[in-house]
Amino acid sequence: MVVVSVRSWVANEGGKHFVLMLWLGANIWLFMKTFLLYSTGKQYHYLYKMLGLGLCISRASASVLNLNCSLVLLPMCRSLLTFVRGTHTVSSRKTRRLLDKSKTFHVACGVAICIFSVVHVSAHLVNVVNFSMSYSDDFPALNLARYRGEVRPMYSHIYMLFPGVTGVLLVLILFLMFTSSSYCVRVSNYEIFWYTHNLFIVFYIILMVHMVGGALKYQTNLEAHPPGCLRANQSSTEQHGEELGQNEDEERRCREEAHFQPHCPQTWLWVSGPLCLYCAERLYRYIRSSNPVTIVTVIRHPCDVIELRMLKKNFKARPGQYIVLNCPGVSSFENHPFTLTTCPTEIKATFGVHLRVVGDWTERFTQLLLPESRLDMEILPMVQQRRYPNLYVDGPFGSPSEEVFNYDVSLCVAGGIGVTPFACVLHALLDGWTGFRLQRLYFVWVCRELQSFYWFAELLCAVHHKLWQENRPDYFNLKLYVSQPDSLQCMSEERYRPLTSRLLVGRPKWKLLFDEIAKTNKHKKVGVFCCGPKGISSTLHRLCNSARSSGTTFEFNKESFS
Amino acid sequence: MGKIEWAMWANEQALASGLIYLTGGIVGVAGQFRGWQFAAFAVAAGVFVCLLEYPRSKRAKGTSVERTGQYCFSVVVKSFGPLTRNYYVRAFILAALCVPGGFMLATVLGCVCLGISSIIYLVAAIRGEHWEPILPRKETKTKDTGSMIRPPQNPPPRPPPDMHRKRVEDLGGAAYDNAIDVTADE
Repeated sequence: MVVVSVRSWVANEGGKHFVLMLWLGANIWLFMKTFLLYSTGKQYHYLYKMLGLGLCISRASASVLNLNCSLVLLPMCRSLLTFVRGTHTVSSRKTRRLLDKSKTFHVACGVAICIFSVVHVSAHLVNVVNFSMSYSDDFPALNLARYRGEVRPMYSHIYMLFPGVTGVLLVLILFLMFTSSSYCVRVSNYEIFWYTHNLFIVFYIILMVHMVGGALKYQTNLEAHPPGCLRANQSSTEQHGEELGQNEDEERRCREEAHFQPHCPQTWLWVSGPLCLYCAERLYRYIRSSNPVTIVTVIRHPCDVIELRMLKKNFKARPGQYIVLNCPGVSSFENHPFTLTTCPTEIKATFGVHLRVVGDWTERFTQLLLPESRLDMEILPMVQQRRYPNLYVDGPFGSPSEEVFNYDVSLCVAGGIGVTPFACVLHALLDGWTGFRLQRLYFVWVCRELQSFYWFAELLCAVHHKLWQENRPDYFNLKLYVSQPDSLQCMSEERYRPLTSRLLVGRPKWKLLFDEIAKTNKHKKVGVFCCGPKGISSTLHRLCNSARSSGTTFEFNKESFS
Repeated sequence: MGKIEWAMWANEQALASGLIYLTGGIVGVAGQFRGWQFAAFAVAAGVFVCLLEYPRSKRAKGTSVERTGQYCFSVVVKSFGPLTRNYYVRAFILAALCVPGGFMLATVLGCVCLGISSIIYLVAAIRGEHWEPILPRKETKTKDTGSMIRPPQNPPPRPPPDMHRKRVEDLGGAAYDNAIDVTADE
């Protein structure tokens, strides 16, 4: 059992939990403030007497809903977040680490919206009942029911009222969006999730007009008619014409009837800013991805991996970023993310991705790119004069792996095809390793089959040789693991000798690895980057949070695929 | 493009709708609104729908993720045979159950959500999908555990066991055989 150390935990989890506390605090504060406004505010005095707690809870949950509906869009502005990540002057490393959790924040706001919608709807149902039970004879303008005790199924009321109709529509759309965003639907049928989630635009339009013609009214003439003065008025009309001469009665005398007015919709104040920002972002991404790329080479690698090299005008990317591919020849609406394995540089303008053929989109895409007859695994590039399909690229988008260069020491752990972000990092090191803050890189790559290492065998050997030549043998520390020992072959090529001597069979022992790194890098901050299956990443996360005697802190950064 | 498995989405929706139906029914009964009998029916129907929809179906292609503790529900649902296997029947059941909820305000949301799930199940049925139980995989313990795990039968550099049998016949192979048995020092 590893003991969680306070210092490591704070370094890893502190930022996230701080933002979570801020967000919870903002929600609670807003809820309480609106609750108190409606329960103690003078302009709601009569309404509160009629409706009671239901009024306060429904309005308080509505304001929390406003806040969360505006916040939920912000983490999804990916290009904006990529820009913030790229400008090192604006953000520090801690802030950039927080950006990794943008999807989690989006989910948290979404869940809050669902919960508070339930609260809001229930409170309004109670209001409907109270409107009829506490039918007010004194203030007929305030009433919603037509007469006292009208507790019917209420269709004629609710559904003729505009907020009622819009409310039901909103809840329906929210229900559709919520049920299709569960983990298993996203994993199995991403399109259902994507298309239902794009109903958000309908949701927001309806949300902005939801309050028009509302049933809740506030009193407008507070000076002329202080709340609670009606009785004094009734008692004083009997003495009308007589001199009263009492100061209390003067203050509490109503000069006129209470006037009520429904609220103007306020949601647009909250929501329009983020909505415009998000729509601008989508438009920008659409325009940016509208010119097709030129496919330069297609290379087939062992273990069902295809490398694709492309060219696009004005395309700039940093190591660790990913792009989204759209091929109309395969499917007009599907977009699939792939991490870049080579970025465009001044010397070479092509950029590339490695894609593993796993689902039907990748299978069909590979069939369009390569002839079907050659099914054996070859590493030789097959450059052919053929018409490649049209391909559109959206991106690049930022990811946690960009931070590898901003630590003194980094540990990169890759599982299988998860090596792709680190391949780009290695290419950047090959081009020039002196310019970065990084002084030492530990690279652990775990694969099921030995053949997989051929994807980047050349690259790994090139980096190794270059750093040995330039007298930095401790810079690049490589460990390769083959997790399935059956049918063991060996890499017999002489030029891959640095790899075979660092190849181990079986699963890595992470604790020992961490201890070794901690001993040789005392009092340093080590960035741990993991791109692989859940088992590895949760083990590493736990180890990063555990106690360390040598003063080394491990900061965990996880790359997620979905 | 691609085969979308509608049944998976319909299952998530139906489970959520069942919960909403149940909650609406409880509210209706507790508040003793008019038409609370419909709410009572909604409670029963909600429970039934939740029990029916809790076990996830096995996916036609790809890995299926079970819900926690769904095995017993899976066995019960499987025992109804074609009634639960066929999605046309399921769509019809959901549609029939949702109708009474439409007569009362507290349950109308559950009614609409169940209705939508019923429509998606109909789409799934038209596309030919059906419900398959996720059964636990039979334990396939490989008898041959591989040369990595089985300890060597002979200390090095002895020949493999079958060479001993050939000692008499194959004098050429005797070169590999030790003349003296190696034992530990006593």
